[in-house]
Amino acid sequence: MHVEFFGVPRDRAGVSELEVHAETLGQLLGMLAARMPSLSEIIERDRLHPAFVANLNGDRFVTDPGTPLGADDCVLILSADAGG
Amino acid sequence: MRFGYHGCALRVDVSSGRADRLPLSDSLLRACLGGSGLGTRLLLDAGAAEADPLSAESTLVFAFSPLVGSPLTTSAKFAVVSKSPLTGRINDSLASSGFAVAGKGVGCDALLITGQAPELSVIVIDAAGVEDGAAPIVRLESAAEFRGATCRDTEEGLRARLGATFRIASIGPAGERLVRYATISHDGRHAGRGGSGAVLGAKRIKAVAVRGKRRAEWARPDELTALSRDLSKRSFGPATAKYRELGTATNMLVFNRFGSLPTRNFQQGTFEGAESLSPETLSATRAKTRESCVACTIGCEHIYTVGKLGVRVEYESLFALGSLCGVSDADAVLRASQRCDALGIDTISTGGTIAFAMECVERGWLDAPWLTFGSGEALLRAIELIGAREGLGDLLAEGSRRAAGRIGHDSLAIAPQVKGLEIPGYEPRALQTMALGFAVGARGADHNRSGAYEVDFSDKVDRRHVTLDAVRHAIDTEDKAALMDSLILCKFLRGVFEDFYGESAVMLGAVTGWDVTGDELRETARRIVGAKREFNLRAGWTPAEDTLPERFLKTPLPNDPEASLSRERLDALVAEYHRQRGW
Repeated sequence: MHVEFFGVPRDRAGVSELEVHAETLGQLLGMLAARMPSLSEIIERDRLHPAFVANLNGDRFVTDPGTPLGADDCVLILSADAGG
Repeated sequence: MRFGYHGCALRVDVSSGRADRLPLSDSLLRACLGGSGLGTRLLLDAGAAEADPLSAESTLVFAFSPLVGSPLTTSAKFAVVSKSPLTGRINDSLASSGFAVAGKGVGCDALLITGQAPELSVIVIDAAGVEDGAAPIVRLESAAEFRGATCRDTEEGLRARLGATFRIASIGPAGERLVRYATISHDGRHAGRGGSGAVLGAKRIKAVAVRGKRRAEWARPDELTALSRDLSKRSFGPATAKYRELGTATNMLVFNRFGSLPTRNFQQGTFEGAESLSPETLSATRAKTRESCVACTIGCEHIYTVGKLGVRVEYESLFALGSLCGVSDADAVLRASQRCDALGIDTISTGGTIAFAMECVERGWLDAPWLTFGSGEALLRAIELIGAREGLGDLLAEGSRRAAGRIGHDSLAIAPQVKGLEIPGYEPRALQTMALGFAVGARGADHNRSGAYEVDFSDKVDRRHVTLDAVRHAIDTEDKAALMDSLILCKFLRGVFEDFYGESAVMLGAVTGWDVTGDELRETARRIVGAKREFNLRAGWTPAEDTLPERFLKTPLPNDPEASLSRERLDALVAEYHRQRGW
């Protein structure tokens, strides 16, 4: 699947996007945390810190680590605070 | 003994130059706190809802707050509250920094300005050298030498004349010329929306200069110090990282990805030039520094160098002067933002009105062939004309709603405004809880008084198909904003609180000594929202105003057909909002 980072998560990840394989949201986040230690402030085990959110395909925001993911899915990771 | 407040407001009649102090009771202060709440209450009591905002009879309030002057991070803020010359409704705009501390330091909780000065003047309010308990010295001085001066030049000139310890709030040339979305500026920051600068300009007041010396006492200083340390520590955490590290401009790519970046006068929700306006690109090619308001530990201001000067870069300015006008030339957009600051005009209303005019030109409704989407040169030319009220600028200085009234055709349907206030950078069809927030906003389309976009960016709703369940969430964000704007604390802190009302009650109790609870503050927030509605009712508000322009209710977003909002659905959301408010 495709992962896109925005704002602070992008800055921490050092990339804007990448391809990975994961069955669930929790598995994906755990994998990202292991691969990118710079995301430690953003990912707490298999969940995002409350200051950050994940969105599936630009449609719905997801929090449950058990959320199933498909090979064609795109997960967006961004700051929870969308305002300005 | 009173804590956190001085217990009075200072009223200055600039027609005569006389000033007097109005007592403010503890019960009144506890009911409306400060900032927006106190300002609205004082305007209601002054009969300001019925007055023409550009007349001598109008009143403009600088309202401070119980937390100003305390060590609580981000508390150095003030509200400017008046009837808006743009909307004819309540207008409360906030700005930050030393003016708030010095203004409260003259020994009052609010400044009320009424009347009309005989010539362009500066109000000087000086508490230095005045005995404790005595009124500050108030005088009017000529501001003739600052006629036409930018906000920055006015501040620098007045501090050179009066002394470096004075803090200055001023208007630019646009305020003098009564541009209906002129700002009041202090130290480069603006009480930006709704045209309070024109209200001051109509009173022939170029600036207000304050020098304070009195700090209101705190009820429990040790507890307050500990609370302040804890809040500062939390303000360095992940919840504020976005503001600290990248600034609000980071919204640009997020909103573009979600198809909710208003583009070419809301004709599209994505902009092909978004990347060039993102902070990631801007910071790679330009010198940048960071600044903070007084008493702030977040430091959200990202200043980019343009020419010899810097410009504060915010998402709202980038969107309004960039994607909304179809301009991807970053230099042109930054220069446009810089010129808005210098002239003293709101970047959102400026960009919204110019983008509206660009579409009118495109449709053949307005004869100004030079004013085309995508032209940075045209954008800059239009801004100068607005600031000078010359040619087409005289029409655009009236804002998009009034301009539509003169342009005719079907232009009101595409004027990007609610109640006359131009819409900020959130596409309502793609963010439908925010659409409700815009529709019912007391001062018009407003992202500062409703944070409903946060609901859209969460798992609480389906942002493109919201149901009536979204209404309670929208109300919650509006109530929280009302409390933050009255305590006052910066909204960029909102993510650090686990129990916003409860924690706010503890802080307020340490400052004032009141035995206040989170539940009481929840009620206070609702009361403040209700007071704004009361003001609007007296000013002639009708339920028909709580809506969006026809464009949003008839045309799905072209880049995202699912982003469609019918009049029936919006009307149902608004009706449910009124029901839950008990209106």
